[in-house]
Amino acid sequence: MKYYFSRIWAGILITLLSFSFTSSSYAIDIKLWDLSARQGQDEFYELLKKEVKKYNPDINVIVTEWEGEAYKTQIQLALNGDDGPDVFFNWFGEDSARLARAGLALDLTPYADMEGGYGNFISKGWQDAGAVDGKIYGIANKAVSKYFYYDPAFFDQHNLSVPTTFGELIDTCKSIKAIDPSIVPWPMGNSERWKLNHVITMLNQRVVGAENTKADYALTAPDDELFTNPKYVEAWEKVVELNENCFNDAPNATNPELTRSMFAAQISPMMYCGTWCGGIFASEGFTDFKMFRFPRVEGGADDGTVGFLVAEGMQVSAKTKHPEAAALVASINVSDTMALADAELRGSLISNATLIDQLEDAPHWFTFYVNDIADKSGHVNVLDVLLEANVSNAYLDMGTEVLNGTKSPQEAMDFIRKVALEAKAAM
Amino acid sequence: MNKTQTNSIGFSLSSDRVSVIILLIPALIFCTIFIFIPAFWAIVGSFYSYGMTSLNDWKWVGFDNYIKASQDEFFWIALKNNFIIVFASIVLQVGVGTILAAILDRGIKYGKVIFRTIIFTPMVISSVAVSIIWLLIYDPNFGILNNILIAIGLPTPSMGWLGDPDISIWMIMIVAGWQNTGFMMVLILAGLQGVSKEVYDAAEIDGATGVKAFWYITLPMIRNIIIVAILITTIGAFKVFEFVYVLTQGGPSNATQVLGTYIYLQAFNLLHMGYANALSVVLLVIALILGWFQLKASRRA
Repeated sequence: MKYYFSRIWAGILITLLSFSFTSSSYAIDIKLWDLSARQGQDEFYELLKKEVKKYNPDINVIVTEWEGEAYKTQIQLALNGDDGPDVFFNWFGEDSARLARAGLALDLTPYADMEGGYGNFISKGWQDAGAVDGKIYGIANKAVSKYFYYDPAFFDQHNLSVPTTFGELIDTCKSIKAIDPSIVPWPMGNSERWKLNHVITMLNQRVVGAENTKADYALTAPDDELFTNPKYVEAWEKVVELNENCFNDAPNATNPELTRSMFAAQISPMMYCGTWCGGIFASEGFTDFKMFRFPRVEGGADDGTVGFLVAEGMQVSAKTKHPEAAALVASINVSDTMALADAELRGSLISNATLIDQLEDAPHWFTFYVNDIADKSGHVNVLDVLLEANVSNAYLDMGTEVLNGTKSPQEAMDFIRKVALEAKAAM
Repeated sequence: MNKTQTNSIGFSLSSDRVSVIILLIPALIFCTIFIFIPAFWAIVGSFYSYGMTSLNDWKWVGFDNYIKASQDEFFWIALKNNFIIVFASIVLQVGVGTILAAILDRGIKYGKVIFRTIIFTPMVISSVAVSIIWLLIYDPNFGILNNILIAIGLPTPSMGWLGDPDISIWMIMIVAGWQNTGFMMVLILAGLQGVSKEVYDAAEIDGATGVKAFWYITLPMIRNIIIVAILITTIGAFKVFEFVYVLTQGGPSNATQVLGTYIYLQAFNLLHMGYANALSVVLLVIALILGWFQLKASRRA
């Protein structure tokens, strides 16, 4: 009897042990960090988990979401530690390139053409968005752009037309103020400094032009030429003009979210906002808005066809214990199915548009973004992502100073040039 | 009683001392992990140049980071702001706290508990939540402060309460004062309640009542408590971070930068970890000096 019991117990133990070994030895946990999104994120990641399992049933994707400001710090700390994410969100530009140069981001080039690899899903152009020195360190799944949003009912009611030049934009602001001085034509919330940075990004593009800014932005221009082009000062002068005619009082003390609500509540008839804003306005009950591009500047270097575009996507930690599985998760994130879901659920401007025709009931703003981006002659990345950190910070600070009138456009550029020279010397 | 025992290898230890050492070990372990080791690495790191994304690539720079700090105008702005906050906090928090405590102790007969609770309540709210509440109050477009001023015909600052570099630091002070005055009041009130009523009775016979009694009797009697309150406020003012970070992030144009936010900016935004370490060491030295004063004053109190 005792013999039989011991055999039964042994059998149970062996069975349990074999089950536990089967499940634990093959399970691969992939930690994925992303920014929190207002809509559709939970459904999106549930689908991603299922899609990944189609390629490798042993991979468990564990998603953690972060707020933007906290994330910028947290990701750098985590990547230096031993318990960071395997796959993580990043803005493509200096932020992502810095991680690649520091050896913290994995070279994903070898995984492009594996089964389920990103090379099967996104074009060479989109792949290059995550390239550093010819190697792919990030897989772009979407991009954000910026547009002027306006209230067509207000414009029609007051016979205002959509401005196509900077001069017309200023005239439109003046006309709106003439209708009612208490209306803010274009609410500007620069309390976090980045709002105006996006405007000066476009003004530099329109006034100075991509060819003339390239060497300055990369800090490769000779010392005696670095940021000396007088057109930079002209771009800042346009900011002064906007501040006098279009913006609300105290833009540096105004929260950007409040300005979005001012437009969504139709208190202000116009604002410059990202492609993430369309969904936000709709969620606040305003859907009858329209969009137009940042107007060209008369006599400027750009004809107005170059647009603001920041690619975003996933990078893989160089410290991941499962590089192939992590690369697979980042790749599946841009698969045909996931890209369609990204557009449908999160309203993203996706990098893989293979199934875009299947997108049902796309809101009018989404269709506008997709068509307009395809129609642009080129793209410009935002200065706070593109520039070296110190120069970027100088541009952010000078935005505040110029808006407050505590520094003139010339003084602002003198300061930026000084910081740029120091940054170049330290490189 | 001080018992002495001899252990197996011949050392002689008093049992009290053994108990003290054993009881100190947990605290020492935590202090070592969370204070001494980070402080040591901050001191070491301050002599190197490295970034958040290049932690394995330390470059020896000697005292360059300290020299850089001495020539950095924003470091001096931050340090100056810390001193402004120290001074203003003492006036606002300790000064007003003392007056409120005196009123609650002897000035009013009814409702002491209600007033004490109301004044103390902001202290139990998190600093971040307090800052967000005040962000709404200060908002230049829809904030209640501007609306009140406009309603009574007074001007409002054109750059906004938090957007004007000349006033923004004082606006932060008001928020900090609003939250912390209640704590100072309770601290000083405890001291006041320790003052014997007989002293006031004797003073009354000598003709010292009201403000005179407060000035000549109350203040000297609670002098040590006030010194502790001043030191607590001073150290808190040097550590200030949340109010500035949430309300202005050090802006506009670094006008409200304090050492805490400037260290954060250098470390995590500009990625100058070595330089941020050097600034932290400066802050550490200041905190140590103030801490020493606080300990001395506490013992006297």
